[in-house]
Amino acid sequence: MKTTRREFCALGAAALVGLSVKSDRTLAGEFVNDSFQLGHLLRDRSQFPAPSQVVKIPLVIVGGGMAGLSAAWRLQKRGFTDFVLLEMNHQPGGNSRWGENQITRYPWAAHYVPVPGQKAEYVRELFTDLGVLKDGQWDERYLCFDPQERLFLHGRWQEGIEPEIGLTPGDRDQFRRFADLAQSFHQSGGFTVPLESGLSSRHAELDQISFASWLAKNGFNSKPLLWYLNYACRDDYGALAADTSAWAGIHYFSSRERQEKGPLTWPEGNGWIARQLLERVGKFVRADQMVHRIQRDGNSFRVYAGDTEYRCQCLIFAAPTFLAPYLIEGMPRLHDFQYSPWLTANLTLESIPDTHGPQPAWDNVVMNSPTLGYVDAMHQSLRTFNDRTVWTFYWALAEGTPAANRQMLLQKDWAYWKEAILSDLERVHKDIRKCVSRLDVMRMGHAMVRPSVGAIFSPERSRLKKPKNRLVFANSDVSGISIFEEAQFRGVTAAEHSLRALGQAQIE
Amino acid sequence: MAVLLFISVLLIAACGLIYELIAGTVASYLVGDSIFQFSTVIGSYLFAMGIGSFLSRFIHRGLAYRFIWIELVVAVVGGFSSGLLFLAFAFTQGFQIFLYLIVIVLGILVGLEIPLLMRIVRHRYRFHEVVSHVLTFDYIGALFASILFPVVLVPHLGLVRSALFFGIVNAAVALWSTFLFKGQLPSPRRLQVLCVIVMLLLSVGLANGKRITGLAEDNIYADEIIFSRDTRYQHIVLTKWRDDLRLFLNSHLQFSSRDEYRYHEALVHPGLSAVPNPRRVLVLGGGDGLAIREVLKYPQVENITLVDLDPEMTRLFSTQPFLTALNQKSFLSPKVHVVNADAFLWLDSSPEVFDFIVVDFPDPTNYSLGKLYTTVFYSTLRHHLSQQGFFVVQSTSPMFARKSFWCIAETIKQSGFKTYPYHVYVPSFGEWGYVLAGQRDFTRPTSLPPGLRFLNVVGLAGMFDFPPDMAPVSMPANHLNDQVLVRTYDREWREISH
Repeated sequence: MKTTRREFCALGAAALVGLSVKSDRTLAGEFVNDSFQLGHLLRDRSQFPAPSQVVKIPLVIVGGGMAGLSAAWRLQKRGFTDFVLLEMNHQPGGNSRWGENQITRYPWAAHYVPVPGQKAEYVRELFTDLGVLKDGQWDERYLCFDPQERLFLHGRWQEGIEPEIGLTPGDRDQFRRFADLAQSFHQSGGFTVPLESGLSSRHAELDQISFASWLAKNGFNSKPLLWYLNYACRDDYGALAADTSAWAGIHYFSSRERQEKGPLTWPEGNGWIARQLLERVGKFVRADQMVHRIQRDGNSFRVYAGDTEYRCQCLIFAAPTFLAPYLIEGMPRLHDFQYSPWLTANLTLESIPDTHGPQPAWDNVVMNSPTLGYVDAMHQSLRTFNDRTVWTFYWALAEGTPAANRQMLLQKDWAYWKEAILSDLERVHKDIRKCVSRLDVMRMGHAMVRPSVGAIFSPERSRLKKPKNRLVFANSDVSGISIFEEAQFRGVTAAEHSLRALGQAQIE
Repeated sequence: MAVLLFISVLLIAACGLIYELIAGTVASYLVGDSIFQFSTVIGSYLFAMGIGSFLSRFIHRGLAYRFIWIELVVAVVGGFSSGLLFLAFAFTQGFQIFLYLIVIVLGILVGLEIPLLMRIVRHRYRFHEVVSHVLTFDYIGALFASILFPVVLVPHLGLVRSALFFGIVNAAVALWSTFLFKGQLPSPRRLQVLCVIVMLLLSVGLANGKRITGLAEDNIYADEIIFSRDTRYQHIVLTKWRDDLRLFLNSHLQFSSRDEYRYHEALVHPGLSAVPNPRRVLVLGGGDGLAIREVLKYPQVENITLVDLDPEMTRLFSTQPFLTALNQKSFLSPKVHVVNADAFLWLDSSPEVFDFIVVDFPDPTNYSLGKLYTTVFYSTLRHHLSQQGFFVVQSTSPMFARKSFWCIAETIKQSGFKTYPYHVYVPSFGEWGYVLAGQRDFTRPTSLPPGLRFLNVVGLAGMFDFPPDMAPVSMPANHLNDQVLVRTYDREWREISH
């Protein structure tokens, strides 16, 4: 069963010489899941039809992303079923939406959850419910298979995403020094997931400068290190290190326990969690129901969605919080809620593009590309043979201002983005155009909240974290960073708060 | 006239550089160590060009005539250089001799070209113009070639055909020169015919470029290839030399008909003979039907399910007379049910339970195959194994890949089984290992089916004993999210083949 070097080389030579001219495939695709049209109706204060029916119900959840679905999961677990969840889009799931074709399911945005530490008790509870955590053991089918990541730099792939090729001793020193600093921040206990359990004024001054300035101040100037840290900010916050609060930049590296090799992931990314939750709480979800007005009326709320007016005593606002001032009458404008625009694409590949060096990984990143690379949806398949797959391509539009980038998202057509994406991939996969048969693009103007300087400790955010008169804001943007655990934490605590409030209402 | 002349300079410069690049690429491709190959190829080529330039002083007469002849020789030697190198690698032990011989011959000839050409045209221009023009186009040609080579030629034409194509270009320049220097040639017609012949010769080579590599492949397998097919899943090759039939999948040897009975008897009988009254047997992999040939020696077995990914494999071994002679038409037994599916996916969705399971997959050479050697795989297998049942895993060589072997054993152990590793000597493989496992204690069988050629009850005892050079080493288990085995296996086999 062994091959000698001679055999191997000559076989490879035969393959090389035998290369024939393949032609490019015709490429289909379109923009999918656009939701800005609906959002802009709100922004422009369009007229909506008067309601034709009134539904009285104790609790309404606005928004069917992870926060809203988690609130519903918690309510049901507590035996409370007298509520509805209103979702603007046809498909619930928010940033955990997914797609499916003949080859596989695939994510549209969020695609993993780091293995939750002991502090993330609600996440552990959920994963126990879903069978991911059994008797304290993670089901290995859901831990990211080997090889997890690879990085293309200096003309070749390396295993792992932290640059290793071509580092000078100085670079290595800085990588080590940064890791040590991150470790000491971790040990301080101030950087946790969920963020709320560790938030401490001791580190508040870090929120007052950008991550880039903090790095410069601390003498970090190694180019590979700065690329890596910038990449992390783009990947988790959609922003450059210069536009990210130092507190948030440090949080990314200091909030996780050292634990087994993760993360948890599925072919459809966090869409798997959304699907599991929808199986349980889908009956409460009203999709295609855009809430267009929320009025407070004494002790209750009137929530207008489509042709229905819901009257409820409690309201969980789990949609992105920047929408609230457009919906809730009398709510002042928000100043500390900025969002990063994103673009994702799913590429259907009829054959696997050529690659050299380390075998294709789950997450594949190209150094010094403005994009974030791609994730292979078939990676978590148990198959041993794959000749087709779907790649999810991620691109946070981090350079320039969010407003200008949102304009660009709206103005450029599908062909423009298709070309940009293929050219980017062509740098590492020369034959990509011969392999791809479909390329769908999802544009998200407000994909994730941006932890800009001052955002985490903003007084406005602190105010919104406190439930007031039976209204709870539950989106992860209230925490200031857009990750699954924050959404789930906010959703669950909002559910708990609402149950308390409703119990009180009954007593009154 | 002037433009045409300088385009010739550009083309011959390009051709010269292409041959040099091809020699360097073929050498680094076949022998490895690209820095050394490129350095020495470029060095000897440039040095040979110097020799050519020096030799040009000895050519006094018939400059144009000799220039055209040189072009034609370069066309033939350069054009066939790449194919010759591949064949030399496959058929001879002296690849390096051929390599530097070709490089030096080409270098000398190419070194002659420019000095001769400059002298041919020296009367038409002033000296400083000749030098300037010729060298300018010479260097432009070099740039042209160096870009063309990686971008167009290697990806689209391949190495053999790129060389042939530039051979034709060289011959075309020769043909063209017979018109350019008509006045200086004694018999241009004869040279023109010769040019056309050379171009035809190279064109025939171009049309058959692929066959040259096929020829080389034949020889890599040492014996005569009697069957070769690319299926969707793998490259199947069968070779035969006298009575030795060998199967290669993706160029990995699967069996040699001379000693495969050792491998397959050892794979099946120690475990299956220890199962009381086995009725249902599962074979994962093993599309050659040789494992089921052994299983069929148990008349009490009623049902054998074989899961193999590649339908071409199982079809081939069910129909080809020389293959069914080897597996004794095992596929034709009514007890045998063939499923062509990805084994892991099939196991994950099937409810069936078996008394004995043979796991005969290719070695864990990559992360995809490595999935079949993980805790999750063996845990899945547990749901398909009856209380009294055992399973056996072919586990690579405990001699050549000792850590890999014990890593597989540890993985099975950590998946909740009692493990019983053993090994046998298979001449064409070397010392080979298996891990037998189950949820109950294993006692060595006291009888084996009749008609075995290798295994007997006495020999069985020795198989479970590991001498010091194969003795257990402490290894972590192989997990889907941390495939220690693939990395270990890669390292161990690489050490052997160097």
